[in-house]
Amino acid sequence: MIEVVNLTKAYKKGTAVDHINFYIEPGEIVGLLGPNGAGKSTTIAMLSTLIPPTDGDVLLQQKSVLKDPSSLRKVLGVVPQEIALYGDLTAKENLNFFGNLYKMPKTQLKNRVEVVLQQIGLEQESKKLVKHYSGGMKRRLNIGVALLHEPQYLIMDEPTVGIDPQSRNHILETVKKLNEHSNTAIIYTSHYMEEVEYLCDRIYIMDQGRIIASGTKEEIKAILSSENTIVVKVENYSNDFMNDLLKQPFLSNINSSEGEVAFTVAKGMNFLPTLFSLCEHHRVLLKSFQVEEPTLEDVFLHLTGRALRN
Amino acid sequence: MFLALIQKQIKLLLRSPSELLILLVMPIGLIFILSYALGPLMEGDTEISKVEIALVQHGNQEEQVEAFIQMAKDFFPITDELKGQITGMLPVKLLEEQIMENEELKEFVHITKVSESKIDETRNEKEFSAIIEIPENFTFDFLSYQFLNGEKPSFSVYLNEGEQITASIVQTIIDDFQHQYTLNKVLSENGLLSQGMIVPTPEISSTIKTIQSQGEITSKIYYTFSMAVMFILFIAGTIASQSFLEKDTHIFDRILLARIHPITYLSSIIVSTVILAMLQTMILFTFAYFIFDITFNHFDLYLLLTFLLAMVIGGIAAVLSSLNYRYNSASASNVFSNALVAILALLGGSFFNISSLSPGMAKIGMWTPNGAALDGYLKLAQQVSLSDLLPNITNLAILLIALIVLAFLLFPKRGGLE
Repeated sequence: MIEVVNLTKAYKKGTAVDHINFYIEPGEIVGLLGPNGAGKSTTIAMLSTLIPPTDGDVLLQQKSVLKDPSSLRKVLGVVPQEIALYGDLTAKENLNFFGNLYKMPKTQLKNRVEVVLQQIGLEQESKKLVKHYSGGMKRRLNIGVALLHEPQYLIMDEPTVGIDPQSRNHILETVKKLNEHSNTAIIYTSHYMEEVEYLCDRIYIMDQGRIIASGTKEEIKAILSSENTIVVKVENYSNDFMNDLLKQPFLSNINSSEGEVAFTVAKGMNFLPTLFSLCEHHRVLLKSFQVEEPTLEDVFLHLTGRALRN
Repeated sequence: MFLALIQKQIKLLLRSPSELLILLVMPIGLIFILSYALGPLMEGDTEISKVEIALVQHGNQEEQVEAFIQMAKDFFPITDELKGQITGMLPVKLLEEQIMENEELKEFVHITKVSESKIDETRNEKEFSAIIEIPENFTFDFLSYQFLNGEKPSFSVYLNEGEQITASIVQTIIDDFQHQYTLNKVLSENGLLSQGMIVPTPEISSTIKTIQSQGEITSKIYYTFSMAVMFILFIAGTIASQSFLEKDTHIFDRILLARIHPITYLSSIIVSTVILAMLQTMILFTFAYFIFDITFNHFDLYLLLTFLLAMVIGGIAAVLSSLNYRYNSASASNVFSNALVAILALLGGSFFNISSLSPGMAKIGMWTPNGAALDGYLKLAQQVSLSDLLPNITNLAILLIALIVLAFLLFPKRGGLE
């Protein structure tokens, strides 16, 4: 098990990570969800022993790794947010190079390269220079390099940033399979809540260097159990209608876009008469009405007052 | 693992056409251009055709001497010894002897006696670098000036302005001749002439001798070595830039995570630079061997010098990488490649032999890696031995140690990740 205890990173400009605590056990997928600038990458860099924390500790099997990072690095694979590959080498050459750095025996390395190429779906393109790859292919190889030495723990820092939906699905499936087949524990950081929701058993929500919520998906969503998210579709939408809606004290987290208005209300609150009356008053046509399950996005909005991708 | 780091570095460089262009194509091109453009200047190939001097003498020397002796009898007794001395001082004869009996001058100065009637024709044809016209009674007047304080005689010299170099040589000869006879006059006045006169030997003769005793440095040899030692410097900048790119793209993070110590990483930069620098030099020298017929006797010494230079380049690459990592920017390697290489090349004599400007500049040049190596290569081209190379080897070794120590001191812990 890896434990993060009161981990803090302070710079002159401010505190990037502020006394955070979390853990990951073998075989589970843990999500670190937060907007850009929440401190996820700094946390990952400290967790993987690349940068020293200002305060706190990282424990592997209850032993600090700060003085002896080698023990953790041995069992750790890191997929950085950046494409950390040589563009002028082929996929195979990149994999061989990093495999050699891990001092893998020749035959083992050869086998692992083949397996990894298959896992990431690049076996047909393995002799192409990486600089000629698409963004998605580069992302997949970026993951492949981290898998080469069969780590027990895999940290993936925003592995799907800036790629097409097809490559994104491929990566998500790869991560899922990897966890199921090899029991690799994965820390998955993202600001895409649907990815975290799809993959992770437990989730930590980060904002401004702090963990503001944690637990299983259900536990986190239960934060909003006293509220319902309502989505209504309207025609003849007007600003006056929206302004009047905002004035209602029992509605919160009101968002609108392209004839769709979403808001949360306390469970049991009868808000329909007010809504109908406002529609009638502003001659807004109510087309549909839906009560939705809260999402992680809603939770984040509820906790911070901001959307995840702002 | 260490081998993988080096193989990767070599592969990356070999797959970079723009870098190869700078490291191999440019020096070869420059060797060609500079050898042919500046070669004639360096090698004195601006053919100094034989200096042709026409000597036109009006009147008969012997008759004038006899006339002077007859006149001089009225002023002082003429002994046989003095008569012999006067006969031996015939100026025109001495001028001829000064040129014809001087081994160095004889090789490229030729005197043709031209009759008085052909003087105008000679002037118009301009086939001579200079025409010396000795007027009527010059010898008589000259002896009167020497012994009886008579009027100072003069003769005319026509220099062909179209042949500046040869004309200048003639001018020097005439100046020397005049100097010699002014000296004669002084010696004569002080009664020292009879003790025999030693005409100072122009220093140029000894200089020529020194040059002729060493192997010849042609422009092709000079520029092959000077361009090789200049362009080898670019490898340091290139490797340092590539290493910074590894930090910038987080590849360095991966290297650290693979439990590679930063010192091992820095050492791999040094070793791969040494290999690439050796490779570059070998390619350039092989090219020079086949295309310019430059021979490499004392191959072992060439190898030693090249290895030492390559090590220093490795040291520079390490220092630049350390600076790049420390300041988290590629500025150090950029400044080195864009400005410092040119300064080092100038000080080291890659553009021209800067050591000829002053001994101070020569000393500074010897403390640049390229300058020390260039000087060493030129010595080797002149067939020197290992002992002659010791100053070069010492300087390179000192530079190497200083750079390596500096690089390891400067390289930040964890590669400067914060």
